[in-house]
Amino acid sequence: MTETPRAEPTGSFFQRNEFLIRRLHSLSGLVPVGAYMCVHLLTNASLSSGPEVFQNAVFAIHSIPFLPVVEWAFIFLPIIFHAVAGIWIARSGHSNVGRYRYASNRRYTWQRITGYIAFVFIFTHVFHLHGWFHADWWLKSVAEPIGMAQFRPYNAASSLAQAMGSLSIVWPIFYVIGVLACTFHLANGIWTAGITWGLWITPAAQRRASYACTAFGVLLSLAGLSSVVAVTRTDAAAAKEIEDQMYNVRVQGRMIQPDDHKRTDGHMNEHPKGPEPIIPQANAVGL
Amino acid sequence: MASNRVLVVGGGLAGLSATMKLAELGIPVDLLSLTPVKRSHSVCAQGGINSVNDQTRQQGDSEWNHFDDTIYGGDFLQNQPPVKEMAYWAPKVIDLMDRLGVTFNRTPEGFIDRRRFGGTLYKRTAFAGATTGQQLLYALDEQVRRHEAAGLVKKYEFWDFLGPILDDGGRCVGAVAQDMVSMQIRSFPADAVVVATGGCGLIYGRSTMSVFCTGSAASRCFQAGAKYGNGEFIQVHPTAIPGADKLRLMSESARGEGGRVWVPRKPNDTRPPKSIPESERYYFLEERFPKYGNLVPRDIATREIFNICVNEGLSVDPNRMCVYLDLTHISRAELDRKLGGILEIYEKFQGVDPREEPMKIFPAVHYSMGGLWVDYEANSEGGLVPGSPRNQCTSIPGLYAIGECDYQYHGANRLGANSLLSCIFSGLFIGPGIVNWIKSNKASADLPKSVFERAVGVEEARHKKLLSNTSGGENPYLIHQELGDIMTRSATVVRYNDQLTDAYSKVTQMAEQARRCSLADTGNWTNQNVIFTKALQDMFPVAECILKGALMRDESRGAHYKPDFSMPSLTSTDPTARHREAEQWCDAFDENNRKFLKSSVCTWKGNEPDLKFEDIDTRLLPPRPRLYGLVGAEVIEQVWKERAEAKAREKASAPKELVGSA
Amino acid sequence: MIASGPEADQKRRPSKINVRVLRQDGPGLPPYWERHQVDYEPDMNVISVLQKIAAQAKTSEGKSVTPVAWDCGCLEEVCGSCTMVINGRVRQSCSALVDRLFEDNPEEIELQPMTKFPVVRDLVIDRSRLFHSLKRVQAWVPVDGYYDMGAGPRISREAQEQNYPLSQCMSCGCCLEACPQFNKVELQRNPGESDEDFTKRKEAAYESEFIGAHAISQAMLFNSHPVAKSLEKERMETITSTGGIQACGNAQNCVAVCPKEIPLTTSIARAGRAATVYAFKKIFDR
Ligand SMILES: Cc1cc2nc3c(=O)[nH]c(=O)nc-3n(C[C@H](O)[C@H](O)[C@H](O)COP(=O)(O)OP(=O)(O)OC[C@H]3O[C@@H](n4cnc5c(N)ncnc54)[C@H](O)[C@@H]3O)c2cc1C
Ligand code: HEM
Ligand code: HEM
Ligand code: SF4
Ligand code: F3S
Ligand code: FES
Repeated sequence: MTETPRAEPTGSFFQRNEFLIRRLHSLSGLVPVGAYMCVHLLTNASLSSGPEVFQNAVFAIHSIPFLPVVEWAFIFLPIIFHAVAGIWIARSGHSNVGRYRYASNRRYTWQRITGYIAFVFIFTHVFHLHGWFHADWWLKSVAEPIGMAQFRPYNAASSLAQAMGSLSIVWPIFYVIGVLACTFHLANGIWTAGITWGLWITPAAQRRASYACTAFGVLLSLAGLSSVVAVTRTDAAAAKEIEDQMYNVRVQGRMIQPDDHKRTDGHMNEHPKGPEPIIPQANAVGL
Repeated sequence: MASNRVLVVGGGLAGLSATMKLAELGIPVDLLSLTPVKRSHSVCAQGGINSVNDQTRQQGDSEWNHFDDTIYGGDFLQNQPPVKEMAYWAPKVIDLMDRLGVTFNRTPEGFIDRRRFGGTLYKRTAFAGATTGQQLLYALDEQVRRHEAAGLVKKYEFWDFLGPILDDGGRCVGAVAQDMVSMQIRSFPADAVVVATGGCGLIYGRSTMSVFCTGSAASRCFQAGAKYGNGEFIQVHPTAIPGADKLRLMSESARGEGGRVWVPRKPNDTRPPKSIPESERYYFLEERFPKYGNLVPRDIATREIFNICVNEGLSVDPNRMCVYLDLTHISRAELDRKLGGILEIYEKFQGVDPREEPMKIFPAVHYSMGGLWVDYEANSEGGLVPGSPRNQCTSIPGLYAIGECDYQYHGANRLGANSLLSCIFSGLFIGPGIVNWIKSNKASADLPKSVFERAVGVEEARHKKLLSNTSGGENPYLIHQELGDIMTRSATVVRYNDQLTDAYSKVTQMAEQARRCSLADTGNWTNQNVIFTKALQDMFPVAECILKGALMRDESRGAHYKPDFSMPSLTSTDPTARHREAEQWCDAFDENNRKFLKSSVCTWKGNEPDLKFEDIDTRLLPPRPRLYGLVGAEVIEQVWKERAEAKAREKASAPKELVGSA
Repeated sequence: MIASGPEADQKRRPSKINVRVLRQDGPGLPPYWERHQVDYEPDMNVISVLQKIAAQAKTSEGKSVTPVAWDCGCLEEVCGSCTMVINGRVRQSCSALVDRLFEDNPEEIELQPMTKFPVVRDLVIDRSRLFHSLKRVQAWVPVDGYYDMGAGPRISREAQEQNYPLSQCMSCGCCLEACPQFNKVELQRNPGESDEDFTKRKEAAYESEFIGAHAISQAMLFNSHPVAKSLEKERMETITSTGGIQACGNAQNCVAVCPKEIPLTTSIARAGRAATVYAFKKIFDR
């Protein structure tokens, strides 16, 4: 006998490619977004060891070539994809924890709540510190006037401390909530991803995995929280001195290019006048 | 044969196996059922399904033995050819179920595991945990869904079968049915109609059966002219859990796996069961039937339990009647693996863990051996002629009956785990016969429309009349309750003629009353009220068959037990006197068989059944006393054996007759 | 039969049971609450309460009403007919014992139809979508036919013990009702639309939605059967197409409410693994 013929899939683009999109969503949550977040929170946590350590770490990051491209390709676009798909997914379900108060159902619901929180947090946070776009007109006429795009990579700890302190304890609270939401979301996300991809199958394996994920989440959130604490404890003026010193050493040691955009001082000037470039511009040597 | 269709009514094991076999043979099937077929009553079956197997074969078992056990268990009330055919098909049925993916329990090596069931000494019963019926039903349901997806089967679920449609020549050419959602009544023209509508336990109010088991469909066929056979044989299962809405079964498999039935020797012993020492426990089945022990056939176990509670006053509960069914000596792991499903039922509904505490159980109405009378065509070996359109055909040509709603296979008492077998066997076996029937008849699609319109008209009139009958004042639910009470009191374990006469006249009166039911719901959308009332009204003809059969059958046989007409037990202790008594006993036994080794067959006479006794085809196995090694009755068996041997010698010396002259 | 129900529990029990039922006269009509009161008896379950409601056909205010419609069958939790939402939780009404419900709320029992399926009337709902899912995953063994071909493949005890629990699914729908990712699909019949057309339209709508935990579990059951495996590819295709495994959000309510304690989340994870493998194969094995 013939078996049932399969109907051609119909429906919206999302519906037709549901499986692929959901798997990419899961993957994007793990890498690069999840992986980035781990690195990012650990980097930030280095602030607890003092502005020097943190500044060093930021220097390291900013030595990555074509940083804006890397940021967009490996961080922003995946986050935007994950966020948009995530919202679409979250809206396709209807939480019922009121009726079914099981732990896993609560986690399901919190995965969505923390997703929404993460959405608000990340978009605001990146705006707050990074500014989203590094086009001058945007920074000067939109972001900075409303207190956004506050981070100066070459004055990492000090600019961060100032940015954080600018609205009394509003920003620290915002960050604490954001960090907790994001770490829960990632830790629980790793647990669900393990089921999605078929890594842990039996109830016993899933239980063990959830212990591991919990431990991971707790550690990561401690790291995240420690940086918030460290930021609020940072003396911006003292930190700035150290950072400027480090900057000068590096510039003189030809380890970095001087870049006023990335500094508090230079940034304040209409037309930054830093030291003349020591290293010739790339195009100047015909590269 | 493009325009040919078959209508199968009922999607239990019987209906589904018929449907899939017909579909395999290329016949489009309409499958109609009160409920989604996957929810049919067969899903409740717990214990298992019987067949000879490689293991029992090497212990001396054979298909013939299975056949013999079934006939002996049924007290010789079956026509033997269909039973023989079934026993010989049984291993093939299990093989097929195995291929369909039924999750039968396995031995460590991966073979199908078996357990022992009542009425046999062999481990013949294949099982899937304690939900065998469910597993079998699902496998068949899946096959039918496969054919449905391929377009050969069309399901009509939530439809009530209202009756067969006969053409002017009395041939069944379809059926009328009602959509239970929209209440639409329409005809289903068909070249053959198969009813596989199961048992009729609801006539007793509470039983171990599902609420679908009203017997209404069989009754509607009966009222349309089909004969009804052996109605009085209602199996009362020895072990059930009494409940307010239903008597839940505690499967025979509990005993098959080693469960022991007992009561404290001391009446009204209030000690907790586990603290009662072995020596003070009365394992009455084991003591009285050492050979079969707890696995005597159901009718016997039921009477023994009934007797222990009612006559000997040894019920373990002062407020109600029950005995212990004890599994606590078996390991938890083994219990869960083999009996999980039923133990959970006990736990869920009684709140007691039967792995720790002996269960309290009592008999309950369980199965109807009787049902629609069906025909068969025997071959020269005493089996059936495959492909004969007569097999399973009711007295209305073109109307077939299979499964629990036929009367064919189980005689006066069904052996455990034989019903699932008879359902699947008859469903599969009937296919080729129906194809041959269709070939030799004019297609129903070519008949004048008026035949069908007339039938629909009759049912529409009945429906309208019921809805508009606001002044009748009778409540169908209360009438049903009363019917159940009467039937339970008069026609279960022990039967007396005065009670039966009384019950019969009450029930005929109530049938009148039921016609005057007025409904709380007179709408035409999912009106369960009217569906139930129709079913209730149609319970009466079957109830009357049961009572009339019980009344007219002045003997005890299988599940039908009349103390006033029982074989006397032996009283003398002196061996020669006892031997003489046994001789007399055997004479009386022969005499009784001459009178009552007959099927009771009812025809509907408009307002009452007319009962006739019909001879039984015992061509393969002569009847013999059914004692199951009862202690104290050995001498009867001995006398009988001597007589049989004498007869055999006589036969051997007489000139040879032609065998198989059926 | 002859036995009376188990003896009355000696504990104090109310003499009346208050029941609140969410009724609906037909598809698309507005639902409304109705109060009923029945006499308490020992060992009642929700089915026997509904039976009494049907027999008296009167609300607690004494108004004559039509009996409440509901579905039931086996009365022992194996057929799956009688699923409804009782005191806010989906379950079988036959195994919902009144005494047990009273422990949580002695005031009232609240009955409601399942919310994820179209209401036919009162507590009766249309679960055709659930059965349609079984077709979508081809939950059957594609045997050659029903002639005698000898025994089936040898199955190890281990395999049987893995599969038996899965094959106990009684299509009750609890897992779907409790799943936050399983949403109601309800279509109204268009005027003049034939049964066939309406069914086709409904099935098309079902196919764009989540198949549900029960069907995923059935797919895993049959994929692990030596013969049914031959349809593995087709099943995986369904599992990875619209409404497939990806629609599950791992809320795991399904496994918590399943009356048969079927390891649904184990099946879901197995399906996840199989889908991973299948998707890669599909890309690279062409
Ligand atoms: C609790 C219990 C346990 C059992 N255990 C065993 C066991 O272990 N082994 C064994 O061999 N036997 C067992 N039996 C007996 C066995 O289960 C039944 O005899 C058998 O399942 C009957 O199957 P069936 O196909 O004839 O009918 P059913 O399964 O009862 O199916 C009847 C079908 O007919 C339909 N129907 C009925 N009336 C109408 C109507 N008016 N209109 C439309 N459709 C209608 C129903 O919807 C249903 O689909 C058990 C019985 C019970 C009660
Ligand atoms: C402890 C709290 C946090 C602190 C102190 C912090 C600090 C910073 C800083 C200083 C930057 C600016 C980097 C730059 O412009 O070069 C930044 C950027 C960013 N942060 Fe955080 N962050 C925190 C938590 C998080 C969390 C939880 C996330 C979630 C994923 C996150 C995601 C991002 C992203 C996506 C950027 C932009 C990336 C980029 O500039 O390359 N941050 N964060
Ligand atoms: C920006 C807003 C975000 C939204 C709206 C969002 C939303 C979601 C949602 C709804 C899910 C559940 C998907 C499912 O269970 O099927 C999810 C899963 C996940 N998210 Fe996010 N998320 C966001 C940000 C993040 C971030 C910043 C990370 C990483 C740190 C992340 C990592 C994950 C992971 C790993 C999963 C698990 C995927 C799976 O179960 O397969 N998400 N997200
Ligand atoms: S998986 Fe469980 S809850 Fe779901 S339909 Fe099957 S039995 Fe019901
Ligand atoms: S509840 Fe639903 S979301 Fe998945 S784990 Fe179960 S199917
Ligand atoms: S009536 Fe069968 S499950 Fe409740």
